[in-house]
Amino acid sequence: MTVFSGVIFTIGLGVLLIAVMKSLILEQVLTGGIGSIILEQAPTEVGSANIVSSVLLAYRGLDTLGELTVLFVAATAIGLVLGQRSPDTKHDSEAGFILRSAADLLFPFMIMLGAYIILHGHITPGGGFQGGAILAAAFFIPILASPASPLNHKVSSLIEGLAGTAFILIGLFALVGKGYFLAPLFGTGDIGALFSAGSLPLLYLAVGLKVGSELAGLLARLQEV
Amino acid sequence: MNAIWLVVLPLLGAFLLPLVYRENIKLRIGIGPFVLGLNLIIAVMIWFDVAANGAHTIVMGGFPAPLGIIFYVDQLALLFVIMVILGTLILWLGKEKDYIGYIQEETLLLLIVGGSCGLVLSGDLFNIYVFYEIVAVSSYGLAASRGSYAASVRFLILGAFGSSLLLLGIALIYAVTGTLNLAHLAVLAPQSLQGIVGVTAFVFIIIGLGVKAELFPVNTWVPEVYTTAPARISALLGGIVSKLALLVILRLLITLYESSAAHLLLLTLGVLGVITGELAAMRATHLRQMLAYSSIGQLGLVAIAFSIPGPAGIIAGTALALHHAIVKPALFMLTKAWGKQLSDLAGASKVSLLSSLLFLVFALSLIGIPPLPGFWAKFLLLKGALETNIAAYQMAIAVVLIATVIETTYFMRIVRLMFQEELKKTSTLKAPALQELMPACVFLAILLISVFAIKPMGTHLNTLAISAADKSVYIDQTFDKTLFP
Repeated sequence: MTVFSGVIFTIGLGVLLIAVMKSLILEQVLTGGIGSIILEQAPTEVGSANIVSSVLLAYRGLDTLGELTVLFVAATAIGLVLGQRSPDTKHDSEAGFILRSAADLLFPFMIMLGAYIILHGHITPGGGFQGGAILAAAFFIPILASPASPLNHKVSSLIEGLAGTAFILIGLFALVGKGYFLAPLFGTGDIGALFSAGSLPLLYLAVGLKVGSELAGLLARLQEV
Repeated sequence: MNAIWLVVLPLLGAFLLPLVYRENIKLRIGIGPFVLGLNLIIAVMIWFDVAANGAHTIVMGGFPAPLGIIFYVDQLALLFVIMVILGTLILWLGKEKDYIGYIQEETLLLLIVGGSCGLVLSGDLFNIYVFYEIVAVSSYGLAASRGSYAASVRFLILGAFGSSLLLLGIALIYAVTGTLNLAHLAVLAPQSLQGIVGVTAFVFIIIGLGVKAELFPVNTWVPEVYTTAPARISALLGGIVSKLALLVILRLLITLYESSAAHLLLLTLGVLGVITGELAAMRATHLRQMLAYSSIGQLGLVAIAFSIPGPAGIIAGTALALHHAIVKPALFMLTKAWGKQLSDLAGASKVSLLSSLLFLVFALSLIGIPPLPGFWAKFLLLKGALETNIAAYQMAIAVVLIATVIETTYFMRIVRLMFQEELKKTSTLKAPALQELMPACVFLAILLISVFAIKPMGTHLNTLAISAADKSVYIDQTFDKTLFP
């Protein structure tokens, strides 16, 4: 009965969505939309060569803070559910020589790539979220190769807390200095230069560190169970 | 004072809490209440400012309305902000002694307060979604905090389904109008949101938000979670946080969907919630379960009230929501020691007269016996529904009255058990510790004070509702029509 009603519901939802799709005029460009205005104004107002970054951190910076918080909430909730690891549980056995050496060899390159993507987020595609995920992977691969040497949760949660605080503090500095929370600071600079777009790179650095430490902590915790 | 502090302060607290606790274990008693207390002071200061100077908007990042994100700060939103902060602060009193995971639980409590403030204040559809996610994910974590994983996972699955429908609804609105700002949408809505796409988007949004608001088809998680989660968490989720989603729905009704179809949809869901909730509460065998079903019924009442067009609906809905936010958390806190089978409560007044009396007063107020505030809340609802002169609302009045009779039946059944039955010889009933009763006593004090303050509160609610119901105030405060015709 439950399965039957589930199928009926799914079919109904599908039909409704197709009906809606039919009446959506997708090829028509909206004249009143805010997208085109942002496309026009972003380079001069924010000074970031990457328009996505200027939307993410300048026009909708509060949403990004919210997304960071959602990730933090999820990590905290998982910490609550999985609890602390008891010291006498057995680790998985170590991986073979090839995997361990490859993990060690990969580590510096992945850190470098992650840092590059975070720091160039305002001029090239990428940014804090993507670079942070790469950083997290860099720390997680060695754990997979040798599970007996776990991640230092103290350090990861320290970075996590401080990076989140830094994001909010930059926003509050703008509130004090310019009167608006998360307003871009320090002018725009030359578009496309590494040191441009004001406080955007700093915000991206905070995002990257927070996402990286959070994901690494999360993955390590899941692996430890 | 800038209203962004209301959101930022709890978030800062939550980010730093784990670090501070690890360094200095002694500080842990004070930090959470300190942050919330500070937040409460700021909220009250902004309240007085808004009461004197009228509603205003806060622009994020210095980008004016339709481009950037704005917070719309009016008395209606601030009332709910104060309700959330004060409620969480009072429930903090009912904290148990240290247990595993208390750091995470306190962090999540701060996060849920920060998310709730943002959810209520935000004037941007996607921003509302982000804050709704913060509130929802914290709820899943809190629901699982004492090992009730099965209930929490089912809550998570239903909640994720709801969130994706909400996002789909917002995406549809954005696809049709090209904007996310509520005031800009309010200008565009009469032309672009009346067709099938707009209505479908509203249905998706109402189902998505309905998961937290315990609306009719998507409230199956309620009894399970509220019976297994800690009493303090059930009190917070059921009594306080659940109303915020309804407030968002109300804002959408005022600004975007003035058509009667949208109002009737909310009315129908509310009526169905009242009927199913109260009937299920009648058959419940556990006290906790009964309270959970009764909260579905009560939120149905709030939904009915909010579906009444114009200020009358806002007055009634706000009164019902605030009243329920005082009574239901208190009742949940009483179940900490007594949350077992209903039949076990026989002779409870001989074990602890104080908590039995507390239960009696709160139950009477929930049913709506004058002079307790619950009566005035229900009275406002009936008055508002009568004045609409629409047949559907007159039907709803009949449902509300029948539901009140059912409510009386099941609450008075328990009161009779408590006061008239003899204590069983095998009874394992214990008197609740005084610490556990503290939140309930504080809520009782608020309830009794409001008995004497009904009249000034009524006039305040009236002015608040008139300005909140006026769409043009919202638009004029938020954005410059000359820039975006």
